[in-house]
Amino acid sequence: MFAYTIKRILWFPVVLAIISFVTFTMGFYGPGDPAMVRLGSKATPEAVERMREKMGLNEPFMYQYMTYASSALKGNFGESHSFSGRSVSELIVKKIGISLQLGLGAMFISLSIGIPLGIFAAIKQGTAMDTFLVGFSLFFYATPVFISAPVLILLFGVKFHLLPTSGWDGIVSLSAIMPIVILGFPGIAVMTRLTRASFLEVINQDFVRTAYAKGLSEYQVNFRHVLKNALIPLITIIGLSLATLVEGAFIAETIFGIPGIGRFAVESILSRDYPVIMAVTIITAFAFSLTNLIVDLLYCYVDPRIRLIK
Amino acid sequence: MKHFRYIFVALFGLGLLFVNFACVESDQGKNFDSSSDIVVDDQKSSVFRRIWSDVPTLDPHHVTDTISATIVVEIFSGLVTITPDLTVVPDLAESWVISSDGTIYTFYLRDNVLFQNGKKVTAYDVEYSLERALSPSTMSPTAENFLGDIVGFDAVMSGKSNKLAGVHVLDDRTISITIDQPKAYFLHKLTYPVSFVVDREDIERNDDSWFLNPNGTGPFILHEYIVGEKLVLRRNSKYYLEPAMLDYVIFKLSGGSALAMYENNEIDITGVEVADIDRISNVNDPLNSEVVVGIPGFDLSYIGFNVTMAPFDELDIRRALAMSINKPLIASQVLLDLVIPANGILPPNFPGYNFYYNEINSGNEYNLELARELIGNSKYGSNVPRIIITVPGMGGSVGLDLQVITQVWKDELSLNVEIEQVEWATFLDDFNARSFQAFVGGWQADYPDPENFLDVNFHSKSQLNHTGYFNHNVDSLLEDARIEQLWETRKLLYNKAEKLIVQDVPIIPLWHSGENMVLIKPHIKGYRLTPLILPKLRFVYIEN
Repeated sequence: MFAYTIKRILWFPVVLAIISFVTFTMGFYGPGDPAMVRLGSKATPEAVERMREKMGLNEPFMYQYMTYASSALKGNFGESHSFSGRSVSELIVKKIGISLQLGLGAMFISLSIGIPLGIFAAIKQGTAMDTFLVGFSLFFYATPVFISAPVLILLFGVKFHLLPTSGWDGIVSLSAIMPIVILGFPGIAVMTRLTRASFLEVINQDFVRTAYAKGLSEYQVNFRHVLKNALIPLITIIGLSLATLVEGAFIAETIFGIPGIGRFAVESILSRDYPVIMAVTIITAFAFSLTNLIVDLLYCYVDPRIRLIK
Repeated sequence: MKHFRYIFVALFGLGLLFVNFACVESDQGKNFDSSSDIVVDDQKSSVFRRIWSDVPTLDPHHVTDTISATIVVEIFSGLVTITPDLTVVPDLAESWVISSDGTIYTFYLRDNVLFQNGKKVTAYDVEYSLERALSPSTMSPTAENFLGDIVGFDAVMSGKSNKLAGVHVLDDRTISITIDQPKAYFLHKLTYPVSFVVDREDIERNDDSWFLNPNGTGPFILHEYIVGEKLVLRRNSKYYLEPAMLDYVIFKLSGGSALAMYENNEIDITGVEVADIDRISNVNDPLNSEVVVGIPGFDLSYIGFNVTMAPFDELDIRRALAMSINKPLIASQVLLDLVIPANGILPPNFPGYNFYYNEINSGNEYNLELARELIGNSKYGSNVPRIIITVPGMGGSVGLDLQVITQVWKDELSLNVEIEQVEWATFLDDFNARSFQAFVGGWQADYPDPENFLDVNFHSKSQLNHTGYFNHNVDSLLEDARIEQLWETRKLLYNKAEKLIVQDVPIIPLWHSGENMVLIKPHIKGYRLTPLILPKLRFVYIEN
């Protein structure tokens, strides 16, 4: 497993190089000029040309890419095109942190409510409670953020003045409640249904019957044998969800006025802020690569029957 | 089974607890504010809060947009400024004298003018600021347009000289500026941020990021700016005129639902969107008493044609399209009278606005029959090439008015018309390259002089003429108007030029902003709604 892990880690730079190259190429050859966006519609062509020169946009493609890549390797993602005088790192680190807090909070709600509900529904399979839980969770899943968010804002903000409708004061604050609930509740449905299905698949296997035959209690069977085996598909979903947290949640961040990375990344794309776009892409790609590796390693831990091959 | 239940309930409860924990954590009243550093003394400080967007720049010499200008005019200032009734008044300068031939302006600075760090402002700072704005290394997008009348600007812009030949410092408090011709609007141009004074030491210390902590001369100091979160202004107690009454102004930059934020006491002012007008207009709605009706802004929305491209190289086609739009009907039925139909180019109440010509007879009144006839008689006849109108914006943001207009062109004139939407960066690229066949555009006045609408957009040599329009007579009228000293004669020249431009239809003027509804909290006093961007926050105060 050690050799496998090292091999996977050695692939990281290759993956990141390919992704950064593709992103850079799309930005370079795509429409839109960052110098023009920076200076606005009243800028003279001469001023735009001078700005292009200053931004280094007149250099040949490979020169620009290699200059960027060598700086990025040293951890320097350059200066933002849209916010002159500010480094990309300064701009995005805090925003990624905010999106991570938001995402982790939402995920915590999804897992801590969704998994127990899923297990409960599986145990009560075929009963009215099972139907109710699955149906109820589907309601949250089917309600899009742009519907549920305004409803909560209207209720808890405008009507009862209990919660702020915008801003972010950290995960332990009033401002965090509505966005975390909004993002977390659809996840409850996913986790409930997934846990239920996975649990049911395992619960009917021979080794479970054997466990009962050995005289183990229902608790011991469910938690020592069934849950551990039912966790494998959940780990995949949780792992991939963790990686997407780095991307932020554009819609929720926009509606609730949260200064996260999702909204900022979209705005950077619209303003052709290439250094920011590159940094966010590379960091997201790294997060995906890393969580994929961790998920693969966790498989082995949870189910020793799974062996990772070189 | 018993243990299983406990664990199950514990996990479930933990999730629910997480949802509720913050409710228990604090309940500090109803004045929600995410700006914790200000909130510390919120009870004592007077704070004005509004929603805003990230500013593209805080360098006054780079400002071209209203978002940046609104902030920059509060941090910096120039020799002169403009009042809400559109009069140019002294600012850093105490007074000025214009030579008899109208080309030399001598400004006398106030004795008590200080930078925000306490350093005295001298005429040398004014000279440096003008030269810096025009310097090629500054890359100002607007310096040429606004300061290009000063003698010697081209030598500085081309890098041949770093001294402006037309600017002379006579002593610490006196400076003279010589312009190439006696242009009546020159003082107006000096009210634009590109003419504002900056601190040389501040810039030379860190040329790349000095504006993140600028040393201005305006009524407010930049206290804090966190991109995407907030921008906070603090009162400048050393301000040379009467200092601001507010301690802080917080611009919230992270977005959110503006009306909900206003109703939840998170901001003190917000505009009213079309969807909310019915509700707010209802006298029984609690917000109705907080509505303030603002005066229209000085602007114009239009459909522009590239007159060098088919089919818009044909005047009859352009006229036919203009005559097929029932603007009053669309304004009232589609845009709920939030706009004023534009027949001419200059907006109502703007200097030079001609009531008769704009309201009664522009020459392109709605007439579908004549429109069809014009198309039939044009060189394209029944084979008018496909028309593509390009609109800036994201999916779903094409205006309903444009959809109605294009549908009329399709149904009533049997034209093949398409709307193409591209996002802003791509739009700008093609807009400046004049590669659009037709486009939706807009113009907002920078200063109250007809030159800013007509000369800037329609003179054939103007770099902001995006339609490729050229009419020798219009050019001559605009050039004469530049140097005419008598206002009534100038106005007449601009009226004639405007009439010719509208008859040539390089653009179809659509709308001027109408009276806009704004909600302002009752305890906020002194906030002025103005048709132009000008420094006004120092007049705002909070009534206890």
